[in-house]
Amino acid sequence: MNWGTVLVGMLPEHLLLVGIVVLIVNDIARDKPSGASALSLVFVGAAALAATWLAFGGFVAAVFPGQLSITPGSSLAKAVVLALALPVLLLCRDDFEDSGPLYPLLLSSLYGIVLMFSSDSFLTLFLGLEMMSLPVYVMVLLALRRPQSAEAALKYLVLGGAATATLLMGVSLLYGLTGSLSMVSFARALASHDAMAVAGAAMVLLAFFLKAAIVPFHTWAPDAYEGASVPVTAYMAAIVKAGAVLAALRMFGQTALSGPMIDLLALLPLLSIVWGNLTAMRQGNLRRMMAYSSIGHAGYLFLAFLGNGPGRYGAVLFYLIAYGLLTLLAFAVIPRHADDARRDQLDHLKGLFHRQPFAAIALGLAMLSLAGIPPLPGFVAKFLIFREVMAAGYTTLAVLGLLGSYLGIYFYLRVIQFMFMSPQAATTAGEAPPRGAALTASMLCLVPTLLLAVFPGRVLGLF
Amino acid sequence: MLDATLLNWVLFLPLVGMLLLIVVPATQPGSVRQLTLWVMLLQLALSAWLYVRFDPALATLQFETRLPWIATWGVYYHIGLDGYNLLLVVLTAFLGPIVVAGSFTAITKDVKLFYAMVFLVQFAMMGTFVAQDLFVFYVFWETMLIPMFLLIGIWGGERRIYATIKFVLYTAFGSILMLAAVIYLVMSAKGAGGAASFAFTDLVKANIPLSAQMFMLIAFGLSFAIKVPMVPLHTWLPDAHVEAPTTGSVILAGVMLKMGTYGFMKLGFPLFPDATHVLTPLIMTLAVVSIVYGACLALVQDDIKKIIAYSSISHLGYVMLGLVSLDLIGIQGAVIQMVSHGLTAAGLFLMIGMIYERCHTRDLAAYGGLAKLLPVYSVAFMVLTLASIGLPTTSGFTGEFLVLLGAFTAAWPQHLRGDSYPLVLAVLSVSGVVLGALYMLRFALRFLFGASRAPHQPLVDLDLREKLILGEILVAVFALGLFPDEPMRKTELAARQYQQLVTTSRSNVRPPVAPPSADAAAAPLPSAETNSAMPPSADVASAPTKDKQ
Repeated sequence: MNWGTVLVGMLPEHLLLVGIVVLIVNDIARDKPSGASALSLVFVGAAALAATWLAFGGFVAAVFPGQLSITPGSSLAKAVVLALALPVLLLCRDDFEDSGPLYPLLLSSLYGIVLMFSSDSFLTLFLGLEMMSLPVYVMVLLALRRPQSAEAALKYLVLGGAATATLLMGVSLLYGLTGSLSMVSFARALASHDAMAVAGAAMVLLAFFLKAAIVPFHTWAPDAYEGASVPVTAYMAAIVKAGAVLAALRMFGQTALSGPMIDLLALLPLLSIVWGNLTAMRQGNLRRMMAYSSIGHAGYLFLAFLGNGPGRYGAVLFYLIAYGLLTLLAFAVIPRHADDARRDQLDHLKGLFHRQPFAAIALGLAMLSLAGIPPLPGFVAKFLIFREVMAAGYTTLAVLGLLGSYLGIYFYLRVIQFMFMSPQAATTAGEAPPRGAALTASMLCLVPTLLLAVFPGRVLGLF
Repeated sequence: MLDATLLNWVLFLPLVGMLLLIVVPATQPGSVRQLTLWVMLLQLALSAWLYVRFDPALATLQFETRLPWIATWGVYYHIGLDGYNLLLVVLTAFLGPIVVAGSFTAITKDVKLFYAMVFLVQFAMMGTFVAQDLFVFYVFWETMLIPMFLLIGIWGGERRIYATIKFVLYTAFGSILMLAAVIYLVMSAKGAGGAASFAFTDLVKANIPLSAQMFMLIAFGLSFAIKVPMVPLHTWLPDAHVEAPTTGSVILAGVMLKMGTYGFMKLGFPLFPDATHVLTPLIMTLAVVSIVYGACLALVQDDIKKIIAYSSISHLGYVMLGLVSLDLIGIQGAVIQMVSHGLTAAGLFLMIGMIYERCHTRDLAAYGGLAKLLPVYSVAFMVLTLASIGLPTTSGFTGEFLVLLGAFTAAWPQHLRGDSYPLVLAVLSVSGVVLGALYMLRFALRFLFGASRAPHQPLVDLDLREKLILGEILVAVFALGLFPDEPMRKTELAARQYQQLVTTSRSNVRPPVAPPSADAAAAPLPSAETNSAMPPSADVASAPTKDKQ
C-alpha cells in the first residue's frame, strides 16, 4: 500500500474527516461554541475543490486494491455532490444555531456518500451506505419543533433498516454464489439467468430503490420530508438521493441488463413516475408535494439504467445536477415563517409574487424546470434520460415514461398559479423574505441553473 | 457583415428588451410601455430589411447562423430564413408593436411583468419560425407555453385559471408526444446517416419505414393539430380566446395558431411523406370538417370574441386543405392565408378589445347600431369583416381563392380516375366561404346596424393611437390583397420544395442495389418514383402498397 496515493487520492474524504473532528472539538472546547457553519462550509468547499482537481487531473489509483479505487468518474461524482451540499449548509444557518450536532452529522453523511462512490467491494459500499443513512435519521429528529418529526424519523429508521437488511441478504446470496465480495459479482449477476444470482442482484437493487424512494418502497419519503426541517428535507431530496443513485450507478458499471432485471428496472421506476406525479397533485403541503415529485424523479433516474454504455453515466449525472440545483433552489426561496407548519402550506404561497417577487420568480423557475419545460435545464436532463432509454431499444417504455411526466406538469404549474394568479393569502403575518444565507444559497443554485440552461453542451462535454 | 447577424438581432431583440425591462422601475409603467414599443418597432424595422434583402432566387437558407450548442449530440444553434418562414417572421414582427400599443390602456396591473412576458412570447415565436434544428425548434416551441400561461392566467377574464390550465394541458400533451417522436426520429435518422443530427436538412433525407413514419406523423401531427387547432382538438381555443386579455388573443390568433400550420408545412408532412400519403384523406377530411364545423359554431355564438375564435378554426382549415392538396397554387394559397388570417383575426380581436374597454361586455345582444355611435370604428370594423369573409382586393380573398383553386385542381384528376372523395371535400369546403359570409355579416349587422344601443354611453370614438394601430393592419390587408405577387414570388421556391419533398417516397429502408429508375422499371407494381412524376396527390393509394412489401 502506497500512503502517498492514499493521501492524495482520498483527499476529499480526508478533508471531510478533518472537518468533522474540528467541528466536534470546536463544539466541546469552546465555552460559547459558534462558527460551525463557516467551518463546515470551508471544509466541504475544500473537499469539493479537491474532488474537482482529482477529476480533471485524471487521477486513477486503486488506493486499497479490491476495496476502494479512485477514477476521474468517481471524483467527478464526489465533486458534484459536495458542491450541491454547499447551499444546504447555507440553508442550515436559518434553522439551526451556529453550533451543535447538525454540522458534524451532515459532514459524516457526506463522508459516507463519497466513500460509496469509490467502493469496489460490497463491504466498502455497505460502510458508505450506512454512514450516509445513520446521521440522516438523527438529522430528521433534530427538528424537534413538531411531534411529527419523531414519527417521521422512526419511520425512516425502520424502513432504512429494512433496506440495510435487504442489501445484506442480497450481498450474502451473491457471496455464496461467487465466494467474493467484489462488486464485479453484481455486474455478472445482472447478466446471468441463474436464479440465485438474479435474486441476489434484485435484492441489492431493491435496497437502493428503498433508499431512493421508488414505488412501492416510497412511503417513508413524504413523512420524512414533511417532518424534517427545511434544510434537512433539502439534503434528503437532493443529496441523499444523488448519493443512492450514483452509488447504484457505480455498482452497475457499464453492464448490459438481461431478463428479470429489465422488468424490475422498467416497471417500478415507471410506476414511480406515474404514482409520484399523480399523488403530488393532491398535496396541499409543499414538502409532501416535493417528496412525491422526488419519487417521480427517482423514477426517471432509474429508467436511464436501462441504457448501457457510457451514455448512462452522463445522463444520470446531468440529471442529478439539474434536479439537485432546482430542488435546492425551491427550498432556498420558500418564504420563511415563524410557524414551521404554516410555512409549508401551499396556500400560503398565494399572491407571493406581489410580496416577494424574487422568491416567486425563482420558485417558479424551479417548478418549470422540474416539470421539464424548456429552455430550463430540467428539460435537457429529461431529454437525455429518455434518449438513453430509446437508444437501448425501449421505445414504448420511453413513451409511457414521457406520458407519465406529462402528469406532473399540472401540480408544478399549480404552484405558479398560486404565486402569480391567486389573490393574496389570508394571513401573511410572520412571513419574511429569504435573508443573507438563504439568499446566497439561492443565488448559488440560480446562477448555475441559468448557465446550465444556456450552455448545456459545455457541461455535457465534461462527462 | 450586418447581414450575417441580422436575423440573430431580430430573434434576440425581445430578449434584450426583457433584460432592459429589469432596470426600469416598476413604478413607471409609462417608461415600461415606451421601451417595449421602441424595441418592438426596431425589431419590425430590422425584419422589414430582412424581407427586402431576401433573395427569392436562392433555394438555400439565407441569413444563416450555425454554431455548435450541444456538440456531443450534434445539436446546433442553427437559424435561417427561407421561403417557409419569411412571411411568418415578418408577420410576427409586424404584430409585435401592434400588440404592445394595443395594450397600453387595457393593462394596468403588473405592467412590467406583462411586457416581459410579451417579449418572451415574441422571442419564442420568432425562434420557432427561424429554427433550422429540430432540438432548437422544440425548445422554442415549448418555451412559448410559459409566457402564454401567465398572460392568460394573470391578466385574463373571470375563468382565466380554468382557461389557461386547459390551454397548457392541451398543448403540453401534444408536445410530450412530439418529444418522444423527436428522440425517435433522431435515433432512426442516425442509423441511416452516421452521426446524430437534428438539422432539418439532414432529417428530410432519412429513410424511415412506413410504420415508424405513421407513429411519428401522428405524434408530431397531434402536437401541431392541437395548436392549429383542428377539430376535434379545438376545444381549448374558444376558452383561451375568451378569457385571454386582448393581447393574448391577438398573439394567439395572429401568430401562435400559425405555428401549428407552419409545423405541418416545415416538419410534419415533409419529414414523413409516406405516412402523409396514407393519412391524406383523414387530414383532408378533418380540414374540411374544421372549415364547416368552425363556421357553423361561429354562426350561433352570442359572445363576440367566440365568433372570431371559431372563425379562426374555420380559416385555418383552409390552410390545412391547401397544404394537403399538394398543388402548387394551393400551397401558396395556404401560405398567403396564414398571413391573411394573422392580420384580419388580430385586427378583429383588437377591435373587440377596444369596444370591450369602452363597454365592458362581450355580449352581442348588448350592442346595436354602433355605426351611428362610433363611425370611424365601424368603418374599420366593416373593412376587416369583409377582409375576413374574403372580399376581392383584400388579403382574405387571395388566400382562400388560391386554396380552393388548388384543392379543385388536385381533386379533378382523381375524380376522373374514379376517386371522387377529394372532389366532394373540395365542394364542401366552398360552403365555408358562404357560411363565413353568413356569420360575419350576422355579426356586423347586429353589431353595427339597427337601433343604436350600447352600455356605458356616451362612447368615444377611436383615438389617434387606435387609429394608427388599425390603419397599419388595414394597409397590410389591402397590400396583400392587391399585390400578392411579391410575397408569392418570395415563397414560391419553398412551396415547390415542399411539394417535391412530400411527394417523394422515403420509406425504402433497403440499400438501393440498382439506380431507382431501373428498379422502378423492373418492379411489377408502380413504385414511388414513378408516382412522384404523376400529379402529386394521385399516388395516395399506390405508394403504401410498395412500402408494405
